[in-house]
Amino acid sequence: MYINGVIELRYVKLPKENTYEFLERLKEWGVLYAPVKISEKFYDFREIDDVRKIEFKYNRTIMPPKKFFFLPKEKIFEFSISKAEYNEVIENVEPFIVFGVHACDIFGLKIMDTIYLDELPDKYYKVRREKGIIIGISCVPDEYCFCNLRETDFADDGFDLFLHELPDGWLVRVGTPKGHRIVDKNIKLFEEVTTQDVCEFREFENKKHQMFKYHEDWGNLRYLLEMEMEHPMWDEQSELCLACGNCNLTCPTCRCYEVQDIPNLDGDTGVRIRRWDSCQLRSHGLVAGNHNFRPTKKSRFMNRYLCKNSYNEKLGISYCVGCGRCTYFCPAEISFVENLRTILGVKDNSCPPEVAEEMPKRGFAYSSSMGGEE
Amino acid sequence: MSEKVRVGFYALTSCYGCQLQMAMMDEILHLLDKVGIECWFMVERNSEEDREVDIAFIEGSVSTQEEIELVKKIREKAKIVIAVGSCAIHGGVQSWDKDKEFNELWKTVYGDAHVKFEPKMAEPVEKYIKVDYKLYGCPPEKKDFLYALGTLLIGSWPEDIDYPVCVECRLRGNPCILIEKGEPCLGPITTAGCDARCPSYGIPCIGCRGAVKDVAWFDSLALEFKRKGLTKEEILERVKIFNAYNPKLEEMVNKIFKEGE
Ligand code: SF4
Ligand code: SF4
Ligand code: SF4
Ligand code: SF4
Ligand code: SF4
Repeated sequence: MYINGVIELRYVKLPKENTYEFLERLKEWGVLYAPVKISEKFYDFREIDDVRKIEFKYNRTIMPPKKFFFLPKEKIFEFSISKAEYNEVIENVEPFIVFGVHACDIFGLKIMDTIYLDELPDKYYKVRREKGIIIGISCVPDEYCFCNLRETDFADDGFDLFLHELPDGWLVRVGTPKGHRIVDKNIKLFEEVTTQDVCEFREFENKKHQMFKYHEDWGNLRYLLEMEMEHPMWDEQSELCLACGNCNLTCPTCRCYEVQDIPNLDGDTGVRIRRWDSCQLRSHGLVAGNHNFRPTKKSRFMNRYLCKNSYNEKLGISYCVGCGRCTYFCPAEISFVENLRTILGVKDNSCPPEVAEEMPKRGFAYSSSMGGEE
Repeated sequence: MSEKVRVGFYALTSCYGCQLQMAMMDEILHLLDKVGIECWFMVERNSEEDREVDIAFIEGSVSTQEEIELVKKIREKAKIVIAVGSCAIHGGVQSWDKDKEFNELWKTVYGDAHVKFEPKMAEPVEKYIKVDYKLYGCPPEKKDFLYALGTLLIGSWPEDIDYPVCVECRLRGNPCILIEKGEPCLGPITTAGCDARCPSYGIPCIGCRGAVKDVAWFDSLALEFKRKGLTKEEILERVKIFNAYNPKLEEMVNKIFKEGE
């Protein structure tokens, strides 16, 4: 419901005992996807048949939710050389629901939107984004999470519904007109939010905040990364790297893709496909004339750190949303967070830890003519 | 294209699995009006190794004196030479123990039997002639064969695969068995293209498509395997199955075991 273009804020409560019923009803809106356990330790979003298989308390999925909108591999057009033409292959996408998206991943999608929807929309991404219903779920951090430092630990938009865990159910925030319709259609499953629920919500958020492993200021990270190009961390850590690409391919905000033309045997027609790419691969920096603008493993390693920590101006956050995947899923056990902390100087100090007393105050900022007064 | 593209398929020492894979493709039929088969003993009785061809596909490792002569002849008669499969590209499994005495290996396999040819240690085709393109795999993927041929037929040049199996493993949404179970998966150093076939069944990759050209980080993988409890010998033994001829392998693995010991 829009009132003067502003969405009417609405909170409802889904009692615990109605959870599975609600999930079952969601299937009326399209194919339901949600996190399930796919192996001993790992989770992924999969199509849901039995709603009781859904994992409400998963740490992170091996594939980020961008996989529903920006497909890992897809055909983009068919071509004919003799006719000098091409036809885009835009699938007819049926509505679907992605249930159980964590706050960091919702920010991940918002970042993807700034790339693939704003300005020059990517048709393939757009058709899927329009058909996808996003339902968020609250979570608590494990040792790999650092979304608090990225200010992506709490999403207040970017979803149709968001379920916040309460001891006896879920506090549901409605985020879009479609979210309203879903609630309205199932209104019998919901209750009103009580003062007690609000207290529980606060309690959950407080606890969650305390559970984060790192509580520190990352404000000057971007500066430091750019200034510490000669830091020994780069050599040491890139030595360990397998250049396998897992860090990029599991990242919710990596958006690079590689295209390839596959001709048919008729010597005329063919298809162009694209797949997720990784800047850890040699070919990512390869350009005409066999020139590579990132010729070494180290330069490729550094590129990811700089790219992920650059600033998405539209959203005012960094491209890294702190989900922890690139560390958790790195086969070489390289810790992205710890490496950033090394650069920040919160781990091993590359500079004296404290500003010396006798630091000369000679800069222009200290001159008496600054600031006008005096 | 009015004139037919002339192709030849030649087998050296191998299991013939590569050409079988290709001969069994239905798509071959679409090719008949575009391609003339000059030499392919498996599918064409009227084959001759001496004819000129546009594209020569070579399967198998160079393992006899005669084969050395044959590959040289093929190179002279062919415009484009494509090495097909692990034997032709990397020497194949028959090179696994290449650092052992040849006579010892010979005895183990053939005992005292007499043969009509002069045997030697199996070697990759590239050791003797220039190879223009490679179809990796043991056997290679049908789709790679079609891609290479299709691209050449439109007068373009096919792309080489220079990224590891892990990329496809991630795109398929598999769990990672190296991280999760500590399995010695060679995915991180192995040329992609098989769609991460083995890890998709929960089986660690043994590297049948060979190490990724120039960017196989044997050292980093050896370090990770070492952390997981593998010895240097175990690591070398495993990686060598399909990479015995890799010039960097031993040195890079040794480095890790020298450093940390
Ligand atoms: S996942 Fe780890 S080993 Fe693989 S490319 Fe990324 S940093 Fe390197
Ligand atoms: S350049 Fe690298 S880090 Fe940046 S989006 Fe692309 S793959 Fe991801
Ligand atoms: S860079 Fe790493 S922690 Fe940050 S969003 Fe990507 S995968 Fe998550
Ligand atoms: S299972 Fe093997 S191929 Fe797959 S990501 Fe892990 S190391 Fe790579
Ligand atoms: S996963 Fe490895 S061993 Fe299996 S087919 Fe692929 S390259 Fe060969």
